[in-house]
Order: sequence, then C-alpha cells, then structure tokens
Amino acid sequence: MEAAPALAGAAGVAAIELAGARKAYGDRVALHGLDLRVEQGEVFGFLGPNGAGKTTAMKILTGLVRASAGVARVLGRPVGDPAARRRIGYLPEHFRFQEWATGEELLDLHGRLAGLPAARRAARVAEVLELVGLAGRGRQRIRSYSKGMTQRIGLAQALLAEPELVLLDEPTSALDPVGRREVRDLIRELRGRGVTVFLNSHLLGEVELVCDRVAIIDQGRVVRGGRLAELVGPATALRLLLDRVDEYLLGALRRLGQVRSVEGVAVTLQVDDLDVAPAVAECVVRSGYRLFELAPVQRSLEEVFVDLVHGGDR
Amino acid sequence: MSTLIVARWTLLEAVRRRLVLAAVLLSAAFVVLFAVAFSILYGRARSVEDPDGVFLVFAGTLQTVLGLYAVQFLAAFLALLLSVGAISSEVESGTLHAVLARPLRRSEYLLGRWLASAGLLAGYVTVMATSLLLVARVVAGYQPVDPVRAVLLMVLEAVLLLTVGLLGSTFLPTLANGVVLFSLFGLAWMGGIVEFVGDTVGNQTMVDLAVAVSLLFPSDAIWRAASYYLQPPTFLGVAVSRGGIPFASLTPPTAALLAWALAYPAAALLGALRTFARRDL
Repeated sequence: MEAAPALAGAAGVAAIELAGARKAYGDRVALHGLDLRVEQGEVFGFLGPNGAGKTTAMKILTGLVRASAGVARVLGRPVGDPAARRRIGYLPEHFRFQEWATGEELLDLHGRLAGLPAARRAARVAEVLELVGLAGRGRQRIRSYSKGMTQRIGLAQALLAEPELVLLDEPTSALDPVGRREVRDLIRELRGRGVTVFLNSHLLGEVELVCDRVAIIDQGRVVRGGRLAELVGPATALRLLLDRVDEYLLGALRRLGQVRSVEGVAVTLQVDDLDVAPAVAECVVRSGYRLFELAPVQRSLEEVFVDLVHGGDR
Repeated sequence: MSTLIVARWTLLEAVRRRLVLAAVLLSAAFVVLFAVAFSILYGRARSVEDPDGVFLVFAGTLQTVLGLYAVQFLAAFLALLLSVGAISSEVESGTLHAVLARPLRRSEYLLGRWLASAGLLAGYVTVMATSLLLVARVVAGYQPVDPVRAVLLMVLEAVLLLTVGLLGSTFLPTLANGVVLFSLFGLAWMGGIVEFVGDTVGNQTMVDLAVAVSLLFPSDAIWRAASYYLQPPTFLGVAVSRGGIPFASLTPPTAALLAWALAYPAAALLGALRTFARRDL
C-alpha cells in the first residue's frame, strides 16, 4: 500500500478512551465500569474469557451498542460520531456479510459509505483485495467463499478506507496457521504506518507476538493491564535438560531453589535470582551429571491469564 | 447521500436474489392469464340477451375489479416479504454490524431500505394495474372513474404494509413480525367483509366494528378507497340501487379516511426510525 494515512489526531488525544463504561442488559451486567486508554499508534490486545465483555466493549466503541453509563471516546470524539467513524475500520466478531453480493460489491458499498470518491474507491478495492490475499477472487459471490476467505474479505473491508484506528474482533478465528501469520504481519505493517490496532482475541500466543500493551478483562472489569513485559514479569525459573534425573540430583538442586516440575530428564527450578544459574550448572556437573541445556523460563501470557480469570465459557 | 447508497444496495439485493426476475416472470404470466380469461368471459357476456347493457357493464367491472383485487393481494404479500425481515434478519445474522459501524446514521440506513422497497412496490403496482386496466380497455372499452387515483391508493396500501412491517422488524424477530403483520392484514380484510354485510343487512353494530378495525389497520379501507375509482361511472350509477361488489366500495373515500391512511404509515415510519436508533445490535 503506497499512501500512508494522514494522522490527523492531535498529540495527547487517545485513540480509545473508556472511563467507567458500563453496560447492562436488563439484570445482566456485561460491563462494570470499564476504564481503558489506548494511545495512537499502539497495537493493543484486549483479552478475556468468553463472556467477559470484550465484544460488548468493542460494540460500544463502534456505536452499535449504547453504554448505560460512563464515557466512551474514539480518536477524541464521542462514539457514534460519524466524523470519528469515518476514521475507524471494524471487523465484527462473526464476520457475516451479505452473501448474495460479490467481494468487490461489498467493498464498493463500504467504500461509498465511508465517503471514498469513485476513482479512489476502485483503486482501494483492488489494493485491499491484494493485501488480504484475495486478488482475483473479488468477482465471486461471498456465498462461494470459504470461512477463511470470508474473514479475509472482512479484514479487507476494515482496512478499505485507510482507517487511523482498526478494531479487530477475533480476526484470525477462521484462519489456518499460515493465514494467522499473514494477519500478524499485516498488523505489524499497520503499526509501522502509525495505525492504532485494537485487537480482541483469546489466542494468547498471537497477542503475545504482536501487541505492545494488553488489558485482561474478566466479568466486565479490567483485571490487569500494561506492557506485555510488565505483565508476564521477569523470569524467575530455570529449565535444565540433563542426561538423567534422580533423587540425589533433586536433593542437590533443592539447596539452590525450589523444584517446580520434573518431566523425564527436564527439570524446572524456581529461583530467587537468575544469577544463581552458574552455581546450578556447577553443582550439576560436579555431581557427575551431564547438562545439555540451562535456560531462564519466562511465564507465558497464558499462565498469567489463567491465574487471573475465572475460567471461560459461562 | 448515505440513504441513496443504501437504497441502491437494496435494489441490487433484490436483483441478485432474483426477486425482480421472479416478480417480472410471474407478473407477466398473471397479466396474460387475465387477458385470456377476460376476453373469453367478456365475449360470452356479449352473447347474453341484455337490452339495457347493464349486464355487460356489470361483467366488465366485476372482472376488472376482481383482477385488481388480486393485484392488491399480491402487492400486499410482496410488501410483507420485503419488510418482515428487513432489519431483524440482518441483525440476527450479523450482516448489519460492519455496515452500521460506517459513518451513516441508522435513520439513513432505514430510510434507504424503505425508499428502495417502496419504489419496487410502486413500480410493481403501477405496472400490474396499468396492464390490467389496459386489457379491460382494449377488450371492453373499460373507463374507470379515476385510474391514477386508484393506482396511487393501491400503492399507498402496499406502502402501509411495508412501513408497518419495517417498524416491526426493528424490534420483533422475523417470524413473529410476519405473524403480526399477516394477522393485521387478515383482520382488516375480515373487517371489510363485515362492513359490507353490515351495510347490506342494515346492522349498525357490524358497521361500527368494521370501522374500528379499519382504524386499527386501514389496509382494506385503503383498498376500498382505491376500488371506488376503479369502477366506471355507469356501473356506480346502477349499482347504488341494485347492490355492488362485496369487495369494492360504491362511495368515494372520506377525507378523514385519506388523512388516516397517510398518517398511519408516516407514524409507523417515525416509530421505526426511533426504535431502530435506540436498539443495541
């Protein structure tokens, strides 16, 4: 894509701002006063178990759902303001589109609604089809698309009008591993052009790979947020790969740290300080074992997530 | 602007889903059938001994009004089909989400759909009614009181159904909305029959009841208003003393009825805009 979008947003204006955003459907409260701030140019991961309120929050940001209380602003304007929506791209969760239309017709409709002039529209339609890997498929009816292709046309639709803020609700749920990697690359490319990406996903590995910051929500509240590195914390364990493991070895290791797990010839040792690593190596070798690997272990986002939330699918 | 984009999209949908093709083919078949039947029956009526010509006028009018009565039913069902799921089915399937996240107001979306559907219905009713009236004119020299007014009122009836259907589809599931709209239409039809019978036997309670029904849903009342203009003056002159057709009116519509017939869909449209604007998707 040649033209970078003009970032009209004034400095200090958040791409997304939710303050005390609350949503209740009758007695059921979907969001209990959600606070969230996403800066322009960030790739932000929005995580949570099913039913945590992720999609509701996203629908508030796109004006599809009205918040019962609180403040919701995008690009410095109240949600639902047409001027703000002109600068937003949105891929809805279930990416269902009018199946009787062709991919090009769908994109043309969205281009018209976004106010793209005719010549620009035609050019952009071709560009985004290429971008999402659907070049040459634009004249087919969406009915004939596979699930993955439908999700791709949804992405094309979201990126069509060169938005400054892209809201992606589970953008890779129907894609195979290759497609997922392509979408990750696409998100990185968007970041490179200064586009803000708000990514709603429960594929934690994916979020870990592309997001600058994340917020984890559960039961309609943010339970943890911050830069990814802060969230997972420093490494506090060592992983050892040995020729054999026995009680004598474990006894020796227990003097240096806490044995967290033993799987075959692999041992995970919880330590207070990673500086103990050389001492661990020495102890192992001196005791007559052969050491093949010794490395610090980072907590994964998944572990943090599982610790924080109350299990999904309620 | 967005309204016109949505209207264009709605028309494209009607073409793509072969709604237009089906309507054109079936309507052509209907007109041909009407032309053949009308010619045969009118030819037979001619051979009947009929010194004052009243029988021939009666035969021509009955057949023409019956044909247009059928058109009115077809238009009503078309309006029903176009409207009952217009919003609800798109909300249920989620196809509306990406569209409404664009910089357009919900009112613009709804008006665009309404405009395109009303246009389709107006075209359908106009083409069908004109074809039938032309057949009657060519075969029998048929001259209704005011064909333009009649067609306008028939369009109004279809638009009434369309608009109330759209209103329902902003808050009711598709099937429930279809049941409600169909029931209202059936009730109004029944009300018209009750009124005719009440008039004939001179029972005021029946007439009052029928008026109440037509206030609740004026589809049949609007048809009867149209039907007056569809009959030739010679027939109306005779029928006042000898009795008319059960599904047609011998008197012109009152100003109050016309006002109600216009206010009803206008209010329904406003209601639809309001409900849709507030709805969570």
